[in-house]
Amino acid sequence: MPVISPSAFAPPVANDLRGPVSTELRERVRRLERAHSAQRAGQAARPLGLPAIDGVLPEGGLLTGALHEIEAGPAPSGRVAAHDGAALGFAAFLIGRFGQNTSAGTLLWCRQPAGVFDAPPYAPALSAWFDPARLLMVTARREEDMFWAMEEGLRCPGIAAVLGETRAADPTAGRRLSLAAEKSGVPALLLRPQPAPPQSVCVTRWRVASAPSHSTPGLADIGPPRWRIELRRNRFGAPSVAEIPSWLVEWNDETHSLAVVPQARHGSAGAGWAESDAQRLVG
Amino acid sequence: MRLADARTLVPDLVTTAVEPQADRRLIETLANWCDRYTPWVAIDSLGGAIAEEGVEACSAGGFGGDAGLLLDVSGCGHLFGQGSQGDETGERALLADLVKRLARHDFTCRAAMADTAGAAWALARFAEKQADLFCPHHGQRDALASLPVDGLRLDPPILETFLKLGLRRIGDLYPLPRAPLARRFGDQPLTRLDQALGSIDEPIEPRRPAPAFRTRLAFAEPIGRSEDIAAATSRLLAALCKQFEQASVGARKLEITLYRVDGSVDRTSIGTSRPNRDNPKLMKLFEEKLGELDPGFGVELMILAAPEVEAWSGTQDALPATGTNADPLGEDGTIDLADRLALRLGAENVVRLLPRDSHLPERVQTSAPISAKPAAEGAWERLASMKGARPTRLLQRPEPIDVTALLPDDPPRQFNWRRHAHKVVKIEGPERLADEWWRPRSNGRHMPANIVPPVRDYYRVEDDDGGRFWLFRDGPHNAVAGGATTKWFLHGFCA
Repeated sequence: MPVISPSAFAPPVANDLRGPVSTELRERVRRLERAHSAQRAGQAARPLGLPAIDGVLPEGGLLTGALHEIEAGPAPSGRVAAHDGAALGFAAFLIGRFGQNTSAGTLLWCRQPAGVFDAPPYAPALSAWFDPARLLMVTARREEDMFWAMEEGLRCPGIAAVLGETRAADPTAGRRLSLAAEKSGVPALLLRPQPAPPQSVCVTRWRVASAPSHSTPGLADIGPPRWRIELRRNRFGAPSVAEIPSWLVEWNDETHSLAVVPQARHGSAGAGWAESDAQRLVG
Repeated sequence: MRLADARTLVPDLVTTAVEPQADRRLIETLANWCDRYTPWVAIDSLGGAIAEEGVEACSAGGFGGDAGLLLDVSGCGHLFGQGSQGDETGERALLADLVKRLARHDFTCRAAMADTAGAAWALARFAEKQADLFCPHHGQRDALASLPVDGLRLDPPILETFLKLGLRRIGDLYPLPRAPLARRFGDQPLTRLDQALGSIDEPIEPRRPAPAFRTRLAFAEPIGRSEDIAAATSRLLAALCKQFEQASVGARKLEITLYRVDGSVDRTSIGTSRPNRDNPKLMKLFEEKLGELDPGFGVELMILAAPEVEAWSGTQDALPATGTNADPLGEDGTIDLADRLALRLGAENVVRLLPRDSHLPERVQTSAPISAKPAAEGAWERLASMKGARPTRLLQRPEPIDVTALLPDDPPRQFNWRRHAHKVVKIEGPERLADEWWRPRSNGRHMPANIVPPVRDYYRVEDDDGGRFWLFRDGPHNAVAGGATTKWFLHGFCA
């Protein structure tokens, strides 16, 4: 069943506000929107290293000191995703970016265990994005405890990033996390195994689904992992033409980099010579 | 005498059932209560057997009417009287205070104090005059002389023989030559006598380890408000931190005990990941826990003790750690955070991940408390060779799946997992992982031996939706050995 949720951020229909006045106006609106956090020092954005995505994000990257949500989206065929491995990978990539320059900094990972069917994150794979020795792993039975642990982590000076895995969509908790993140400048991430109703106060919301990997004709091998990434909410960001900006990205394990896979707008995301050429250019 | 006989003699005899468990609980509560005087409180089992042996043993001593408590109050007397060290006014005041307070709780008790546990035991049970209950320093020889030999805690057969021989008073034993006594009755009478007179040490075993660091605060009026308890804790903590500084140690565990007016006791403790003597930080940890304490009708005494301390290394750690021994979680802020989280969520729920030298996927990653040694630098890097082929999530317990394949040994074309069919489009494998024969098989916490085969063939598959999974089947060897059909399991989700 396809899960359709309206975009929280309604972009302008016509994107013709390109004059100098409108830029000024847009800047003023942004200032107004962020009035409560304007005095905050050290407000910075961490670029993802993907120009195509960084271009639409405010300040050219993901804001530190803000709440970001990553949810596992439905599969391309519309079925509910079988697992959130791709979303977890993307979240780990973001955490890796946030923890990159601050070499000493703990990454706080909070989660609620799911009993017998629990599938905790597996550090040997996560070591592609960051050093698992920096992880402080917290499990909480109740969601209140998990949000509390995240909030405590956001207030703590030695923490580089905080991630919470949860199904709960508690607007109050989201608001508190967002405020705590703004105050300390530590990024907070929420990883959801399923799409949640769009209500929280996050600065960006990503929907990540695993996409079929690049296939070599004649071989049944699995290529590097590919993810379909949708930016479903982009507060303070530049408006884009598409209603929901979406990219197909590929993680390259050899070069340790994420790259956007260019594709024909209406074509399939499948194999093709043009695509592999373009991939070589980007990668 | 049997109950029926007793009833004939005294028709209106009041009887109650013996409840050794309840007696035991009561005497333990009393022992807790006595912790207010000294950390060295022992339940006296010298008088008889322990309750576990049954009702008869119990009525013979130990609990019930014969129950006793032994308190080592060396050096505690000055808290109760103005007398200087070596003076006895303090000790006398302590004894009087103990009896008075117990009487207030409706306990009838006889308390005696002497230089040795044996003498105090004998005096408490057999002293005839109230004035004899307090035995002055080095006075136990005279004090015991007139007591019956029952006061020596001897086995009943020896006691009987003594009585037959006319040795009725402890004093009767003093002039006897020791060697013939030992030859006839064994070691026990001489040992007991020496213990009572103080020529042999008789340490008492406290019920809980006596902490080396301890502060107490008694209140003139019972307190009950949580703010008052917090303020008192903060004062106790300040005093204790000063003790830590003098001894250059830091606390790993702190325990606060509330002594309520009704004689009951409530305690709670905090733990830290590394030695700590920072007053505000410890107080912050306590603030989480103080809410759990129930002051009841009021608290008359609070004791803060440090059962676990370690040598202080705090100032050294505060310097930026460099080199190979740097702990990635070693920053002060992180440690404090971990302590705070562990206090509320349980220490087993706040962990760091450690790699383990193993090729079995479920054994590679282990967790350890924050206080554990961090992984050697680059330990995770060594696992990097396999990260591309490893899943981002690993199921705690592999889940069996139904697989459709062209031939029995072929990789799957389709598999059903949790009632959904996944059509396999791409496949990579197999990667064969054999069991570690040098380990006993049954110690898999994550996976019971019966579902995990000794040889596993792992495949990475991608379904028609682009979802990537990590599957394994029990290897062909197992099928031959067991004669069963090949079984497939799902073990993880790839990025």
